[in-house]
Amino acid sequence: MTPLMFGPASRRLFGLYHPAEEGRPTRGAVLVCPPFGQEALRSHRFFKVLADRLARAGFSVLRFDCHGTGDSPGDDADGDLEGWSHDVVAAHEELRRLSTTPAGTPPLNWLGARLGGTLALLAARQARPALDRLVLWEPVMDGPAYARMLREWHVHSLEISYCIPESSLRRQLANDENAFVDEASGFGVSPRLRAQLLRLQPDGLRCEATGRTTVIARPGDKAVAQWARSHPAARVLDFDHPLDWNSDPGSSNALVPADALKQLLATMNE
Amino acid sequence: MDIEQIPILFGPERNLVGVITTPASSTGAPIACLMLNMGANHRGGPHRINVKLAHRLATMGITSLRMDLSGLGDSGPARTDLGYYAQCVLDLQAGMDLLRTTHGIQRFVVVGLCSGAAHALNLSVADPRVTGILLFDGYSFAGRRWHWERSLRRALAAPTNPAVVGKTLRWLRRTFTNAAPVAGDAPAVNIFTLEKETPAEVRATFSRSMATLVERGVSVYLLYSGTQHVRDVDRDHLGTLVREPFADKLRYEFSRDIDHTMTSLAAQSAFLTCASNWALGVALPGAAAGATSASGAGPAAAPEEETPSAWGALAPAKPGGSRRSRRENNGFIETVY
Repeated sequence: MTPLMFGPASRRLFGLYHPAEEGRPTRGAVLVCPPFGQEALRSHRFFKVLADRLARAGFSVLRFDCHGTGDSPGDDADGDLEGWSHDVVAAHEELRRLSTTPAGTPPLNWLGARLGGTLALLAARQARPALDRLVLWEPVMDGPAYARMLREWHVHSLEISYCIPESSLRRQLANDENAFVDEASGFGVSPRLRAQLLRLQPDGLRCEATGRTTVIARPGDKAVAQWARSHPAARVLDFDHPLDWNSDPGSSNALVPADALKQLLATMNE
Repeated sequence: MDIEQIPILFGPERNLVGVITTPASSTGAPIACLMLNMGANHRGGPHRINVKLAHRLATMGITSLRMDLSGLGDSGPARTDLGYYAQCVLDLQAGMDLLRTTHGIQRFVVVGLCSGAAHALNLSVADPRVTGILLFDGYSFAGRRWHWERSLRRALAAPTNPAVVGKTLRWLRRTFTNAAPVAGDAPAVNIFTLEKETPAEVRATFSRSMATLVERGVSVYLLYSGTQHVRDVDRDHLGTLVREPFADKLRYEFSRDIDHTMTSLAAQSAFLTCASNWALGVALPGAAAGATSASGAGPAAAPEEETPSAWGALAPAKPGGSRRSRRENNGFIETVY
């Protein structure tokens, strides 16, 4: 594994490259598009272990952080879906460069989780060369519901974190739609990002000019079901798991649930 | 000021992952800051606070390394047969060796959050290159009065504060779940408690370490959050150690506005101000007029505009007395009971 910086000088990005293990037949390359905010923090170790396993199986993997997130430069408030989509494309270009050998460029795949899945959908048509596979794990397709969840979780996080929290938090959440909109459990949310999230709907997420698409979703995800109706070629897998996307990594919730790891490895290996 | 980030794989086994953040165009301070994991969080810290602190420090001319200890975050496991705590000291020393090689820096301050405080303390005792440690919510020897008062305040708040009720229910659930494991289940293994000392041993080690560090002139900054309590009367977390000779040489602060994982941006801002000004005071005492000494004599300089007011969000606990005033600033109100 090699930690690195890539991208244009004005927007450098942090990445970790896991080359396919030597001596294995090359299966392809995988770009991991991580979730946003606390979900990214929470699932960091999961994707590290997944990348190690994929490298062992013959995939070269690039994990990266969008601008203003994780180890990449930039502030929370710099984030927006459009800029982050461009970051996904920049990471795709970096993965192509890193994984290309004299034998050629391997099939390029993306694995996007939560908001990272949404970004992958938004960016997929700009990928050159085109994607071989797009795998989305619980992508955010209902933006207003996601924005609501971020506000609710923020208040929950404050409540559990202070010895005696402010007693008015829930009241503010219920009565003031502008309360707790500019931050989400420790991560800033710019007005632009919030506006983009509130406009995000399944029908606006067109998936064209990509290869095979698989969506892994919790059973009963209505937004994914609505999106799937207009994307009959995409495959939807119902999958439930114990990973609590928003909890602290120190909580009594598995960091790397074995069944989720197994499901994603199986999907990528198909 | 422009900053530069250098991701790097390092250590004798090249299993450690870190990111050096440095001022892009300056000679920088002669001291660098080390940051490490808090619990199972990766090197970025809770809510990316280590990254934000690294950026802040770089704008102040201070280089930093945030790193994952062996087996945490992106770092691979060590191939030694050392215990967990001993290995962590070696890992951090590898981080210091790295910065000596890459930037010629030979003195360090260490920011240890929660479980990271133990590693920061162990390192500072073992290695004279450490000249300052910030231990955030690290060690507590608070006595019975502190615990009873907290329980009483929560009980009084419960009728009008639904969050406290939920907190109590979760505590009960945790307590009884832990107390009554399902028959036949193997006990869970917690790597953070494998080498756990008894409370008396922890207290003795802490006391001995503090005495050593104070004698060596190391700046020790103990910072406690509002997750623990809503007030601090007289350096409560030191318990009876407050009477030890070293106690008045420590810088001790409590802020009810900062929570354990810095969940709000306001809490993060307050923490960043505390940590960065302390680091600046240690690194460049001449550059920070009125910089705080290890004895907690006063606030550090104000390199950024919000500094003077944000400092007021804190209440340095004064030896021998409780806080007597109410400070209001920048949206933070330090409430005095």
